[in-house]
Amino acid sequence: MSKLNMSHGLRLAAMATLVAAWAPAHAGDAKAGADVFKSECAECHAVKEGRNKKGPSLFGIVGRPSASVTDYAYSDALKSRQWTWTPEQLHTYLSQPAKTANPGTKMKYDGLTDAKQLDDLISYLQTLH
Amino acid sequence: MLPLTNRRATRRPPTLFLLGSLALLLFLASTAAQAIPAYARQTGAACADCHAGSYGPALTPYGMRFKLGGYTDTDGQGTKIPLSMQLTETHNAPARGDSTTQLTEGDLYLAGRLTDQVGGFVKIEADHSGHNTYNTKLSNLDLRFVAKELKLVGKELLLGVSVNNSPGFNDPIGALPSASFLGPAGVTGSLLNPSSPNSLANRVIGASVYALYDSNWYGELGSYRSLPTSQQDHLGYNINGDPGRLSDTGYARFAYMKDMKRQFFSAGVVALTTRRQLPRSGPTDDLTDLGYDLTYQYLGNREHIVQLAYVNILEKRDYGSAPIVGGIAARDRGNVHDQTMSVTYTFKQSYGVTLTHFKSTGSRDPVRYGPSGDPDTTTNLISVYWTPFGKDNSYTSIANLKLAATWFRFTRFNGRENDIFFAPVGARRTDAGDLNAFSVSASIAF
Repeated sequence: MSKLNMSHGLRLAAMATLVAAWAPAHAGDAKAGADVFKSECAECHAVKEGRNKKGPSLFGIVGRPSASVTDYAYSDALKSRQWTWTPEQLHTYLSQPAKTANPGTKMKYDGLTDAKQLDDLISYLQTLH
Repeated sequence: MLPLTNRRATRRPPTLFLLGSLALLLFLASTAAQAIPAYARQTGAACADCHAGSYGPALTPYGMRFKLGGYTDTDGQGTKIPLSMQLTETHNAPARGDSTTQLTEGDLYLAGRLTDQVGGFVKIEADHSGHNTYNTKLSNLDLRFVAKELKLVGKELLLGVSVNNSPGFNDPIGALPSASFLGPAGVTGSLLNPSSPNSLANRVIGASVYALYDSNWYGELGSYRSLPTSQQDHLGYNINGDPGRLSDTGYARFAYMKDMKRQFFSAGVVALTTRRQLPRSGPTDDLTDLGYDLTYQYLGNREHIVQLAYVNILEKRDYGSAPIVGGIAARDRGNVHDQTMSVTYTFKQSYGVTLTHFKSTGSRDPVRYGPSGDPDTTTNLISVYWTPFGKDNSYTSIANLKLAATWFRFTRFNGRENDIFFAPVGARRTDAGDLNAFSVSASIAF
C-alpha cells in the first residue's frame, strides 16, 4: 500500500471510530440534514472541495483539525484552537452562538437549538467526503 | 410659467410620445435585472445566495445583509476585479405598433469592496435609443462606509453611510420601488416611484446614515438635492425629465425585519418630503410621501421559494399655484397613491414566475390631468424566467444568464378602460389594452 493510500486508510479508520462512538447517542438523518444545511449553512459554506465562500469549504469537515483549510484566512481566534471537528465538537460548537463558542471568531451564527436538526445536520456533514 | 404638470394639462402629449414613454417604462421594469458576478467572485458565494432566482434584483435575507454590510464581504482570497457587464437582447411585441428585436441594453458595473468598511455599486447603462444608437448614462449609484460589529446595550449594532442617487434604492429589504424597479407607470406618481414623470431616480444626489440594531431593527435618515440640469445632461439624461429644484428634502426609513432562516418577514415605514420647483423658475410645491411596506419570504430548503411584497405610498401635494385653464381652476392640494403588490415563486432557484399588480390613483383634477381629470392607472406584470446558472453546483459561477418572457397588461389608464386619450370623432381610439406589450429577453452577465 502506498503512503498516500495508507494515510487515507488511517483517516477513514479514525473517522469510522469517531462516528461509531458518536452514533448511538446522536443518530441523525443525513437526508434531512441536507435540508438543514441549505437553510442554515449554505450561504456561507460550500460542500465542494476547495471552494471557499465567506466561510471555508466543509468538504471533509468531520474529523478535520480546526483551521486546516490551507487557502482560507481563518481568524486568529480559531487558529489558536487545537480542535478536531469530531461530531461531539461540532455538536458543542453549533449548538450555541459562534461568538460564544469561540470569542473572536469571524463566523456569524446564532446557533442551532433544535436538537434533531443539529443531529441531522452533523449526520449530513459526515457524508461530505 | 406653469409647473410641468400644469403645462402637461394644457398641452397634452401626443399619443405616440406617451406610448413611447410607457414602452420605455415597461421595458425598464421588465428588464430590471441586476446581475453582478463581481460580487460572486468577491465573496465566493453563488448568485442564488443573494437572489432567490439566481439573478437580481430581488434579495434573499443573506443578500440584504451583504447590502447592509456595504458590499464588503469577501472569501479572503485576495483582491478581485470589481467589474461586471450585462447585455440584454429583447424582442418586444406591443399590442399596437411594430415588433422589434434589439440589443436593448448594455451595462457596466463597478461593484465591490475597497476595504472592510468601504464598498459600492455603480452602474453605467447604455440604452438602445433607436436607429442603432445608444444613450449612455450613469444609472444607480450606492457608495457605502460601514462600521460593523459595534455593541449597544449588549446587542449588535451596524452603522453605515450611503451616498446614492435614488431615494430608496439603497434600502436593504428591496421592496421600495427604486430598489425593486417595480413602480406603477401612469400619468403621475409619487416621488419614491422611479416610474413617475420627472422622477428623482438617478437625477439627485444624497446621503443617508443608517443603523441596524440587534439584526432586526433598521433605521435610516438622509437628504437629497437634485443635480443641475447641465449635470443631468452630462450624465446622459434628457433635461425634459428634470425633477426640478428641491429644497428641505428629508428621507426617513424604519423597518423591522426578521430572518428565521426558512422564512423572513419585514414591516417598514418610509417618508420623503421636499419643496419642489418644477420648472426651476416656477412656484414651489410642497410634497410629502408617506408609505409602508410588508414583505414575506418562504425559503425552506430553497427548493420552493415564495416571496410576497406589498408597498403602499401616499403622496400629499400642496401646490404653489392653482392655474385656471378654460375657466376651470386647478386644485391647490391633491394626493397621489401608488400601490404595488407582487408574488414570486421560484423552483430550484432557477425557474420563476412573478405576478405584480400596480395601482396608481390620485385626486381628480381636470386641469392637471386632462379631459378625464382622473389619473388612475392599473397595470399588471406577469413574468416567467429561467436562470440556468448561479447556483453552488452550476457549471460556472463567474457568469450568468436569464431568459424571461414578460407580459404587461393595462386595464385602466387616465381613469378609463376605453378611449383613454379622448380621440376626436373619426380618429382612431386607443383603449387601455392597446398599451399592452409582450417581451422576451435574454440577459447575460459576466
